[in-house]
Amino acid sequence: MTDPLALEPVLAPGERGRLPFNDDHRDHDERFELFEAHVQAGGKVESTDWMPDEYRTGVLRFVEMHANSELMGVLPEREWLMRAPTLRRKLALTAKVQDEVGHAQLLYRVAEDLGKPRDAMIEDLLAGKTKFHNVFHYPTRTWADIGIIAWLVDAAAIVAQQALRDSSYAPYARTMRKICWEESVHIMHGRDVVVTMVTGTAQQRAMVQEALDRWWGPLMQMHGPRSDRAKDRDLHWRIKAKTSEELRQEFLSIYVPRILELGLTLPDPELRYDDEAGAWRYGEPDWQELRTVVTNHGPRSQERLAFRQLNWDDTAWVRDSILAAQPTAA
Amino acid sequence: MTAVSEALVPATRDALALLLLAMADDELVIGFSDSEWTGIAPLLEEDVAMSSIAQDELGHAQALYRLLAELVDDGRDADAIAYDRPPEGYFHARLLDHPRGDWADTIARRYLYDTADAVRLEALGACSYEPLRELVAKIRREERYHRMHVSAWLERLAGAGGEPRRRLLDALARLAPDAATVLAPLPNELSLVMAGILDAGSVDLDARWRAEIGPAFERLGLPMPPPAAEPAAARTNHSEAFRWLHGEFTSVRQMDPGATW
Repeated sequence: MTDPLALEPVLAPGERGRLPFNDDHRDHDERFELFEAHVQAGGKVESTDWMPDEYRTGVLRFVEMHANSELMGVLPEREWLMRAPTLRRKLALTAKVQDEVGHAQLLYRVAEDLGKPRDAMIEDLLAGKTKFHNVFHYPTRTWADIGIIAWLVDAAAIVAQQALRDSSYAPYARTMRKICWEESVHIMHGRDVVVTMVTGTAQQRAMVQEALDRWWGPLMQMHGPRSDRAKDRDLHWRIKAKTSEELRQEFLSIYVPRILELGLTLPDPELRYDDEAGAWRYGEPDWQELRTVVTNHGPRSQERLAFRQLNWDDTAWVRDSILAAQPTAA
Repeated sequence: MTAVSEALVPATRDALALLLLAMADDELVIGFSDSEWTGIAPLLEEDVAMSSIAQDELGHAQALYRLLAELVDDGRDADAIAYDRPPEGYFHARLLDHPRGDWADTIARRYLYDTADAVRLEALGACSYEPLRELVAKIRREERYHRMHVSAWLERLAGAGGEPRRRLLDALARLAPDAATVLAPLPNELSLVMAGILDAGSVDLDARWRAEIGPAFERLGLPMPPPAAEPAAARTNHSEAFRWLHGEFTSVRQMDPGATW
């Protein structure tokens, strides 16, 4: 088996110096064009490479939002961490939430190398200046939500994340390989929770269907509205590799059959596969809801940010105690 | 019941069952309490560390409940023992009854518990009940890292002066009446010593624990824990904080008690 964590060789500093855009004798416009050509040809960028401001800002914004989403994404599931109904579920959910925190840490480190300190990113998140994914603004109402989130929210995320393993920004691409490996375990855990409940009592089965009905709308919105490939700067720089519609189609192709196979129904009467077009047709997702939610006006946006702020403030003294103990640089 | 457990006389088997229950409940409750930090710890690095420690403790609890289920052989599995008792039926030490509190409470509680648990595990190192001896060997390998982690934090908070030290002293003062409850006497512990399950009784274990932590407490200028205020009630009369925790961890399971989750 291929080691999923194996890293592609990183060019030694001397070799990276030979990449033409790293030559600081050239003028900015020339370097910009050489950099663009390198990226468009599938070349990778390391944190120490020269890069245009637009690229640096674009990668930072993208990775920062991903890190924020991992950090805020622990809260909906954390609400059920103390209620896991067996030791096995308790262990699995603790491990899953731990993974998400670990992903936040890895991603904030990738973002930090692009020039923004971790504390500044967390403070911007808490102040509402930066965003996190729509699905983490919703309440978790029953234990079935834990199954649906781990199975389907993580599945929708992994479809996007797998494409990011090819990101032009090499530190991000490497990090995504580790993250995708762990996310695939979360999906198995989530599916196991769901399968156990749908093959259980009538009450358990009803809980799963109710949770699926509530989560379907946010899941369909999660990858964002269709966009114009030519105008998408993240695609231009190959920070990401696929459009939102490509990701949504991929998610539907893999997961709709798996959902229906369990005897569950989906709350979209227009959902069907169009053989002629070779694509899924679906009722138009509520894009206004998406805009409302990601600007922190979702059903749990303010509570979750307030909860994180409260804990951030309450634990400031611990962080200060460590910083106070740091040896000062000579 | 296994051949190994059938070889025990009834009084020893009952005493062993209570020892296993005490150890398993201790690990369960501290595992749940520590996992309350998951997602909201002071630093991302500590968040990941504390979640790992919580999972280790919960894994130990699960393994100990399995041994107990084999020993008592009354049809209950590890989950049924872990979850399906009323709060007054739990047998963990009252040290673990305190709510999660702040980071200093967590560090103080973990330090007192981990050091006492290490003495208990060491006393089981040559345990005549083979399934427990094998499990203890595995648990001790993991607990070693927990002690390194918590000792580093105790030193940091105690040595930092100012607010961190003040919070640590407050936490130790809050925990003091229950600090020594982990090694308080167990019912019929003499039969465990006689059967070669434990290598010493609670009085000796308490003395070993104090000898173990004494030098660090002295060096850091921390007050040594007093004897347990009510040793006979060291594992009963659980707190409101534990009743809340119990209400949480049984809430889903009790929705549909016949169901598989």
